[in-house]
Amino acid sequence: MVGLAGYRHVRLGPLAVRVRPRAVSVGLGLLLLLLATAAFALARGSLVLPTREVIAVLLGQDAPKAVLHIVADVRLPRVLLALLAGGMLGLAGATMQSLTRNGLADPGLIGVKEGASIGVLAVLFFAPDVDPAWRPLAGLAGGLVTALIVCALARDLSGLRFVLLGIGMSWLLSAGLLVFLTTADVNDVETALVWLAGSLHGAAWPTLPGAALWEGVGLVVLAATARGADASLLGRGAAIGLGVRPGMLDTVRLAVAVLMTAAAVSAVGSLGFVGLMAPHAARLLLGGGQAGLLAGSALVGALMVLAADTLGRLAFAPLQIPAGIVMAVCGVPVFLFMLWLRRDRL
Amino acid sequence: MTLVLSAPRLAQPLRLAGLVGVVALLFVVSLLHLGFGARPIAPRVVLEAFLAFDPASFDHRVVRDLRLPRLCAGLMVGAALGVCGALLQAVTRNPLGEPHVLGLNAGATFAVVTTLTLGPWLGRAGVPVPAPATLLAARPLVAALGAGVMFAAVMTIGAAGRLGATPLKMTLCGVALSGFAAALTSAQLILDDQTLATLRLWLAGDLSGVSRTAVWGVLPWFAAGLGLAFALSGRLNVLGLGDDVARGLGVNLTRTRGAALVAAGVLCGAAVSLAGPVGFVGLLVPHVARTLFSRDHRLLLPLCAMLGASLLLAADLAARALAAPREFATGVVTALIGVPVFLLLAARSR
Repeated sequence: MVGLAGYRHVRLGPLAVRVRPRAVSVGLGLLLLLLATAAFALARGSLVLPTREVIAVLLGQDAPKAVLHIVADVRLPRVLLALLAGGMLGLAGATMQSLTRNGLADPGLIGVKEGASIGVLAVLFFAPDVDPAWRPLAGLAGGLVTALIVCALARDLSGLRFVLLGIGMSWLLSAGLLVFLTTADVNDVETALVWLAGSLHGAAWPTLPGAALWEGVGLVVLAATARGADASLLGRGAAIGLGVRPGMLDTVRLAVAVLMTAAAVSAVGSLGFVGLMAPHAARLLLGGGQAGLLAGSALVGALMVLAADTLGRLAFAPLQIPAGIVMAVCGVPVFLFMLWLRRDRL
Repeated sequence: MTLVLSAPRLAQPLRLAGLVGVVALLFVVSLLHLGFGARPIAPRVVLEAFLAFDPASFDHRVVRDLRLPRLCAGLMVGAALGVCGALLQAVTRNPLGEPHVLGLNAGATFAVVTTLTLGPWLGRAGVPVPAPATLLAARPLVAALGAGVMFAAVMTIGAAGRLGATPLKMTLCGVALSGFAAALTSAQLILDDQTLATLRLWLAGDLSGVSRTAVWGVLPWFAAGLGLAFALSGRLNVLGLGDDVARGLGVNLTRTRGAALVAAGVLCGAAVSLAGPVGFVGLLVPHVARTLFSRDHRLLLPLCAMLGASLLLAADLAARALAAPREFATGVVTALIGVPVFLLLAARSR
């Protein structure tokens, strides 16, 4: 049955879903690409493994011990963490862009990354005895406080001043970070530097559950509020008329976006430009409302981080370039292009 | 966006007193700077080291041989950054104009690091490369070129569109292109840890590694940039009146802007090649000078030079005093002082 242009209703007994065949096929294509990249990333490295053996390990079949170790202990957590972090950053970026109605907004640009980093480093330096499991929570607190300060200073989220203030805030916090790094113990600094560069080098299984938890929470909240967000794009009055509480909705979604960014930073360090680029790519590829945008941004973000990490890992092997650097080099031209597209409105 | 720190300018007699105050401030900060260190030396002894030099006195030797180069470097870097900020603000008519915000620092750093990593690599590949000493002497020029190219790129993209170069667009461009240059810089440093070891402190913006030869090498560039800026000061006043008025008064806009940008690039290059990327000095200083004293660039530029030098020396003192016996980089302190000003200016815009 054909409904709105490009939409199609699918009925399964009492359930009916409205889907767009184009979006579904593009989404499936992205998913396949993601799986192929993951398989490539698992097989390549200082030791190239045959794909057949990698798949055997993933399916739990017998494999040589060395292969089992490389895949299960080294490469698999790294790939999974890249996917999780990329997904979170993509989701956060999509949410921020629709909240602020500004295609240049990215939680990374407004100081959340630096705030989270300061939170984690503060625990690392001042309370080294605290269990590492608490570090992400410190990161979340730092990111949230930063976002609150920037919002309070800017008052109006959709204003352009918001971005300007966020940039200033991130400079201030990076100076604070440098104070940490230049006064602390050398050994602590080395640990911190590896993590700050936005590298997945230290990825291990214990980091994964926390990241997955936050991504799950974020996904649920964002999906539940997606319809409200679509309505509030029609304007405040229309949204209230449609039964949405814009103030409440914006607060919840902003908090979720900030928390996901902070969680990603706590897991992999500062990775920029994912939250900026993924939603634009998702809009270009999938189109449609919030739900499609969110799903697309998560997929594209995960793909981007995985690709950046794999590229940085393999391009100059045995030396590794952190994913954050690869991301910045690829992301800046895209950012400037976005800026150029908006040149008459800034 | 108009100039925002709109406190009333001082009255004539007060302004004169203020000018004397600025000179006195620079003098006092310099004395303190020379006196501070692992071995504190009283200001009186510091003065004696210059007025009545006694070669047998250990303190006099410390002041003249060890601490003087750092002071000279601080004076030059601070003055260069202050004047550079004033030039950029005049040319872009953007109150947020500043070498760090507009990407000049990142461009200069990238150029310096690239010559350092590429030099040995090209040498191994059989390409004739100038000797290290020549490269060191050419560092200000390399840094100035990097800063200039970067600023040209920021201006080109930032000025696109109907509204021209708005503060927001220029800042975003500066941030993005700085990020690009910084990413390429750190990629090079990761691949070449020898350069990283040489440049680690310099990269954070620091005066501690400055040598006497480096100071002498940068001095001509600094003098040339400052001279060009001062020579332009009359025409910079006219720029502020708007393009049409300026043209009506017979000022060649393109040539004035071009010359001012060359001066800004050379000054920024001189500062970066000495102390690394120190940010936000050029943001704060011109605003303070304009607010308290004058918008006349013939007075404003020398004031910015003195205030910039005082600010940088004070920041350098603080960087060493606050965490003694360790020290954090001077650039950290200038950022901690300068960014709140940026936030204030941004929050008050529009």
